[in-house]
Amino acid sequence: MNETGKTGLVCDERCLLHDTGDHHPESASRLRAVYAWLKESGLAAQLVPIEAQPANQRWIEAVHNIHYIRKFEDACLYGLPDFEHTDNVICRDSYDAALLSAGGVLEAVDAVVSGRLDRVFCALRPPGHHAERDKSMGFCYFNNVAIAARYLQLQHGIEKVAIIDFDVHHGNGIQHIFEEDPTVLYCSLHEHPSFAWPGTGRDFEEGKGEGEGFTFNVPVLPGRGDKEYRKAVEMRIKPKVKAFQPEFLLVAMGFDAHADDLMADIQLTAEGFDFLSRTVVELAECCTGGRVISVLEGGYNPLTLPRLVESHLRILAGLEK
Amino acid sequence: MFVRDKMVTELVVVSPQDTILGTRRLMIEKQIRHMPVVEDGRLVGIVTDRDIRDAMPSLLFEEGVEPEVCKEIAEHIISDIMTPDPITISVVHTLQDALLIMYHKKVGAFPVVDEEGHLLGIIAIRDILKAFINLLNIEEPGTLLCVVVEEKPGQMKKVVDVITEENISLGSVLVARYWDEDHRALFPYLLTCNVATVKRKLMDLGFELIEPMDMLLDQVPVNEKE
Ligand SMILES: [Zn+2]
Repeated sequence: MNETGKTGLVCDERCLLHDTGDHHPESASRLRAVYAWLKESGLAAQLVPIEAQPANQRWIEAVHNIHYIRKFEDACLYGLPDFEHTDNVICRDSYDAALLSAGGVLEAVDAVVSGRLDRVFCALRPPGHHAERDKSMGFCYFNNVAIAARYLQLQHGIEKVAIIDFDVHHGNGIQHIFEEDPTVLYCSLHEHPSFAWPGTGRDFEEGKGEGEGFTFNVPVLPGRGDKEYRKAVEMRIKPKVKAFQPEFLLVAMGFDAHADDLMADIQLTAEGFDFLSRTVVELAECCTGGRVISVLEGGYNPLTLPRLVESHLRILAGLEK
Repeated sequence: MFVRDKMVTELVVVSPQDTILGTRRLMIEKQIRHMPVVEDGRLVGIVTDRDIRDAMPSLLFEEGVEPEVCKEIAEHIISDIMTPDPITISVVHTLQDALLIMYHKKVGAFPVVDEEGHLLGIIAIRDILKAFINLLNIEEPGTLLCVVVEEKPGQMKKVVDVITEENISLGSVLVARYWDEDHRALFPYLLTCNVATVKRKLMDLGFELIEPMDMLLDQVPVNEKE
């Protein structure tokens, strides 16, 4: 079991400077509410705090095209209102926040690989799982989880990384970055792409070339909830991850599959999310010696998000009420 | 959406005197399933991979087959097995025409010819599917909404106005009859992931948003005129 004092939390107020305006779903207030609640509930004080550092560009380049990185930096410097699509609202500080968001996950990796910590949750923004090698999508600029996976391999010599994506939207970016790579397993549970953005993640997308069989998509029909998720996790996701025998586990943890989140049509309850969190712990115990890093992706209802994050963290830390 | 714009014009053709064996090889090599048969520039027939298969018993490729049998089959020529005067289509037919003819005549591809019967191209079900995938925009990232509206003028406008207010691009809109007579279902495909506000505004206007799954398209009454 997890020892007390071995669970970390990455927070960084500078991520709030990525200003998308008050009406944007991926707004600073969403993360501000999470920070406030973690403090108020007393949970933050029970976890090891980690501060983010801007990611070294070398690691961003391990995933993203250099021209794309410069183009994004320029767009922020010039003060453009959005980047590549009107969904992706930016400000002058967005580039720095994106570097911190990616860099914070790398700090978490260092802490876990060194053995200082077992589990870390990264409460940072902008999110990452939609960002493609050379394209921003769905509020995502740098693919934080993908960058962490490459960092684990290149910097720490870890060979096999499993990524589980519980965001309600398919993580097209992560899939495409690793679809030809048999060393990274990508498993995603999401609303069916005929109904939900971005329209990828169909069950016949299973990887390409050498990576065939190392992409695993489980689409769930709109209106479905805990029962279908439970079934999909038990029957599909768990066996797939266990069979892969990963050395490290990364989780793209979106909270937008919640019933009160209007960004999609999945009806997961708080208990459903607890089940997903326990699944993360179980898979980590079983496959990676307990080591896991969970990274915030979506989750857009500011009224429900803080408590969902709290509960996720409590289960990771073994501090369930 | 004319056949002209979607037909394949880089053609591989055979003549009625070509051998079946040679044609088979060509079709496999070029991955062609429908081969136009042309004489003096005019279309005289079509041969499908199925015609070829039927003409060549599989035993031909097994060992120990009588050489005379092989020789006899090898001497057969395309005019023996082709479908003469196949159904054709013209460049100014629309893709909708092509789709309906394919569906009703149970044909997988059409040669496209001019008035004198000269072969200009070929259009297959796959080309038409590609056009409709583009039309629906389903390879662009987007979110599908299902809005139930009353069957009266101006409803579509209200929905589109909300989408426009939110500065969202529309990928496509489908309209379907709902199971109850006085309602229709609109399926706007929005080229954004940012749909929470649009959904809330539509609900505030009194529109019913249903799970697209509840709109069982295969249960919608259609006119079956087979
Ligand atoms: Zn999401």
